[in-house]
Amino acid sequence: MSPVTAMYVAQAIHGLTYGMLLFLVASGLTLIFGMMGILNLAHASFFMLSAYFCYQVVAWTDSFWIALILAPIGTGLVGIIVERFLLRKVQKLGLGHIGDLLLTLGIALVISEAVKTIWGTESHQVLIPPSLQGLVTVAGLEYPIYRLFIIGLSLVILGALAFILFKTRLGMIIRAAVSDRDMVSALGINMPRVFMFVFGVGTLMAGVAGVAAAPMLTVFPGLADQIGLDAFVVVVVGGFGSLLGAVVVSLFLGELNSFGIQFIPRLAPVLVFLFMALVLSFKPMGFFGERDE
Amino acid sequence: MSTSILETKDLFYDYSGLQVLTGVNLQVEKGERHAIIGPNGAGKTTLFNVITGLYAPCRGKVIFKGQNVSGFKPHKLSRLGMGRSFQITSTFHNLTAFENIRMGVLSRMGIRFNMFQRVDKLKDVTRETDVVLRRINLHRESAVPANALSYGKHRALEVSLAMSTNPDLVMLDEPTAGMSRDETHSAVDLIRRLTEGKTMVIVEHDMDVVFSLADRITVLHHGKVLAVGAPNEIKNMQEVKDAYLGHGGV
Amino acid sequence: MNKFVRNLIMWVVFLAVAGAAPHVLGIVKTNVLVELATFALFAVSLNLLLSFTGVLSFGHALFYGVGAYTTALLLYHVEGFPLIPALLLSGLAAGLAGLILSPLLVRVTGTAFAMLTLAFGQLMYILCLKFREVTGGEDGVAGYDIPPLNIPGVASLDMLDSTVFYYFTVVVCVIGIMIMWFFTKTPLGQVVVGIRDNSLRVDYLGYRVRHTKAIIFALSGFFAGIAGSLFALFQGVVSTDGVLHVMVSFYPIMAILIGGIGTFFGPILGSGILIVLEDMIMRYTERAELVTGLLFIIVVLYVPGGFVWLWMGLVARFKARKLRMSKEVEA
Ligand SMILES: Nc1ncnc2c1ncn2[C@@H]1O[C@H](COP(=O)(O)OP(=O)(O)OP(=O)(O)O)[C@@H](O)[C@H]1O
Ligand SMILES: [Mg+2]
Repeated sequence: MSPVTAMYVAQAIHGLTYGMLLFLVASGLTLIFGMMGILNLAHASFFMLSAYFCYQVVAWTDSFWIALILAPIGTGLVGIIVERFLLRKVQKLGLGHIGDLLLTLGIALVISEAVKTIWGTESHQVLIPPSLQGLVTVAGLEYPIYRLFIIGLSLVILGALAFILFKTRLGMIIRAAVSDRDMVSALGINMPRVFMFVFGVGTLMAGVAGVAAAPMLTVFPGLADQIGLDAFVVVVVGGFGSLLGAVVVSLFLGELNSFGIQFIPRLAPVLVFLFMALVLSFKPMGFFGERDE
Repeated sequence: MSTSILETKDLFYDYSGLQVLTGVNLQVEKGERHAIIGPNGAGKTTLFNVITGLYAPCRGKVIFKGQNVSGFKPHKLSRLGMGRSFQITSTFHNLTAFENIRMGVLSRMGIRFNMFQRVDKLKDVTRETDVVLRRINLHRESAVPANALSYGKHRALEVSLAMSTNPDLVMLDEPTAGMSRDETHSAVDLIRRLTEGKTMVIVEHDMDVVFSLADRITVLHHGKVLAVGAPNEIKNMQEVKDAYLGHGGV
Repeated sequence: MNKFVRNLIMWVVFLAVAGAAPHVLGIVKTNVLVELATFALFAVSLNLLLSFTGVLSFGHALFYGVGAYTTALLLYHVEGFPLIPALLLSGLAAGLAGLILSPLLVRVTGTAFAMLTLAFGQLMYILCLKFREVTGGEDGVAGYDIPPLNIPGVASLDMLDSTVFYYFTVVVCVIGIMIMWFFTKTPLGQVVVGIRDNSLRVDYLGYRVRHTKAIIFALSGFFAGIAGSLFALFQGVVSTDGVLHVMVSFYPIMAILIGGIGTFFGPILGSGILIVLEDMIMRYTERAELVTGLLFIIVVLYVPGGFVWLWMGLVARFKARKLRMSKEVEA
């Protein structure tokens, strides 16, 4: 393989890694929006929170693997608490989507400030576990093992999500609720419980992404800034509530990012937002969106 | 032909696949009170929405005052002299009855982009709004927010809002929907008074209202015109009875 | 005329307090007041959109930033550029930005509007960060001279004097807020409120909804730009994080919510609460934003109308009680 091809492949793997992480974050966001009609502005904060949990658990136990289990679960629990005690309350106030947006904005601010208060503003290092360090050679090319691990992990989660959504009764309810919220709640299903579950799973997935990203990006307060904004772009462009849209656009953005930085470093981030602005202006429901809000 | 103020020619409309209007030919003469009746789901509201510019027709034409207005937006049609009320009350809920009516009065007077004068200092607007409120018997509630009005008064406000721009043709979508007998009675009275000398198209399920108000009736069924005629002709038509009983079909 | 007397008294009190403030409070506190006035102007301009048009913008920093950068760049590149033209041009530039974006903004409402404004805000942020030849990147534009206010034949007021600058800011902000208040009372202002309540009906009454919205975006942008220009004059440095960061958009939303959504003067109260609170908390902790964030959540959940409504609710309850008591006495 020529060096140029090798560079392209490496760059593509790079983009794929980020695209997968982005998907983990964005799929939760889009599911929550599809089901509950809430655009959760605090979603990326859960990603960051989980990275900090990871750092803390590693500091205590010295094991990345334990952190990979515990941090997302802790994050998911925080998510459930937020849904049960804050979101559910504000939904009853009848402020419409402005109420949801403002509340989740407040939560995002509090999480970001709380993190700074507890762990300080400096960055913390989380080491890649020894078994995942180094490079592996495939077809004459060297890949960092850890990136391949992230891609694999994301695929496993994606598979689990697909299984729940398409093979279980709960998943059927969730999919039905995404396409017609009122009808499902009229069927006598305990929707608040389902909402709580979806919110919990959504934050848990963001949590997994947070842990996976921690060793790559180091843990610092601005950790979620880029992935958070990108996740919104994914949800908006892919269509509010559309999982298929989330997959396609996440991977696309991942590659756009990776190659954009390579070729037009100054304009890459602009392109993403320009793209989103255009899509929103002419197709306010996104490419794969169905429902008119 | 030249006396008709509104005409639709072979109008088609579908909601992403669901055919609702399948070739409607409607003719409304200048100065008449024209009722459109038909069973639930016949497409009456949809027809209103297409005529008044909320939706563009998929096929066919809408002709208003001799001009092809297919695809014109509501504000443009309003300026040409078409007004419309809604089946589901659609006023400015948080504004007072006075402010609601004033919204129409301002538009009628062509004050649409004025941002250099205080609106409460425009004496003639205030005077005209008060006149309208008195005419519709809402002057005592002028400072009450629309959503705090009684149901009957809120419906009256809905209809009056359609009239507040002083249109030549007004389209009323079930103005008495959900009213009690007494309320219906005074509503019919109000409608008769307000539409004096104008052209009116009214959708109505209450046959007493239809027969007491209308000069002519169009029956709509499955998105097509089933029959047109004077009230007593329509009353005795077998197809109309069938359509309403549900085993008719076209 | 009762109302006239009341208004007169309020103005006299306001002018007396505002006039005496710098002499009583000292320079440091006077500077806080400058910030407060600028921020209040910014919040009120955003409130035209949130409370009157009924759309939530997550990108108002864009207009603030355009105003601030216009002032900074004008003063930096054009020697001896006068004060008032700089201020007005900054407002116009921001208003123009609103007008340019309006064909896209008027098409959407609700969550999509919030996201679209967020996108434009971020777009501007990134553009200013990347085109450092013009904007200086994250370092920003600094080192420009603050021109004095020349009133020909009368005086030349030195804007570097804190007290003088304070008076200048107060005058500009009061005029700006009054113009916006007047606007809400005009026919167009009424139409805007109608759009918030029921834009379809506004359309059916013969108004052009999109044109009307475009005007309000331009107007709101104009005053946000003026606020940004004041910021540039006050700070002497304009950077992306200072004027275009997404927090700059979020902060006035908090002020509106804390003060009272749906009211005109609530956001001013909210600005006061927010700035004073921050100033107080800053003395004890570095993390003032944690407290404001918590306050924000509490307000959303427990006082969704903000403090103005809380106050009005208390007054109403008090009156009702007095009324009941007097009735009981009569009985
Ligand atoms: N927005 C919409 N999207 C999809 N289908 C619609 C929509 N609005 C109406 N329909 C369908 O179109 C058909 C005609 O509806 P329409 O409201 O025009 O009937 P109508 O004659 O006014 O009935 P009613 O007497 O109940 O008011 C119905 O089958 C209805 O379910
Ligand atoms: Mg109908």
